[in-house]
Amino acid sequence: MLEIVFSIGILALIMLPVFMTFSTGNRNIQLTDAEFRAHTAAIELMEQIVSLPFGKITSGEYDSNAIVDGGQFANGPVLYKITTADDLWRTMKIEDIKRDGRVLFKKITVTIKFAAAPGSDRIREFFMKTLVANETL
Amino acid sequence: MKPCKTQAFTLVEILVVCGIVSVFLGTAILLFTNFRRGYSRSEGTAVLLQDGALFIARLRTDLNNAVIAPDSSGGAPAQLSATPDQLSFIVYSSREARTMPVVYRYLAAENGGSIFRREGSEKERELIKDRVASLTWQTELERFLEPESTGSGTVRLSIGLDIQLKMRSGDEKPFTLKTSIFPARLNRQLNSP
Repeated sequence: MLEIVFSIGILALIMLPVFMTFSTGNRNIQLTDAEFRAHTAAIELMEQIVSLPFGKITSGEYDSNAIVDGGQFANGPVLYKITTADDLWRTMKIEDIKRDGRVLFKKITVTIKFAAAPGSDRIREFFMKTLVANETL
Repeated sequence: MKPCKTQAFTLVEILVVCGIVSVFLGTAILLFTNFRRGYSRSEGTAVLLQDGALFIARLRTDLNNAVIAPDSSGGAPAQLSATPDQLSFIVYSSREARTMPVVYRYLAAENGGSIFRREGSEKERELIKDRVASLTWQTELERFLEPESTGSGTVRLSIGLDIQLKMRSGDEKPFTLKTSIFPARLNRQLNSP
């Protein structure tokens, strides 16, 4: 009987990684979903800034409290249009890239923080950068 | 009579082993069934996510290349036209070095709608088949005026998109996405002096 009990124990140990593989697959798909939503939120914010005339893209750092739907971008009059999501935190930095005293480009960096899994305390970060050329030169 | 010396399991030992084996097998079958169900649900969820992501990426790229082009019939410049089942606009194709119309068509159905895309004179292609539970696209044109300014202000055109994809079985987690798309070229053109 001892041999049988041992063999069952060994079989159980062998099967464990197989079951673990299934559950890891589930977790990865959940993460991909969260990453996709973060990516979409970053593009949404980035696109609306890039769509503005160059002169209206005001340099500075903008935090999550400022970037809300209907909130003022810089000192206005343009207002943010943001899809509300409670588990996403957005920040944005706009920098001037100058040469010979003239602003040639604006460098825009959007960072999105999001929960690694629903209800999780672990926070992941996604960021996106782009340059907008000064077309008025 | 000679006593039998052959060693064998007792009835109690066999019963105990059978009990352990059945408990183990029962647990294993239960776990495997649960994992299998979860796995196919996740697989369906991943397919929906991929379908949704590809559609959004395609639409976003097209809208970013959208331009204001004069109507071929000599009418007013065309921008974006959105109806509940159709979204159409003009894009500039770098490949062909000319503008051409792009039309997205949504065909709603009780068991899951479909989305089609047509570019220029090409044949209409199916982007998502029988998986769209709901889809709305709405254009919004906003004008932001500086206080005490006499200028025309800043114009912003955006497309609000709300989509839900579902598998027919309905066990999978539906893919839901609500976002806004800001066509950069179109907005630049609208704000150009």
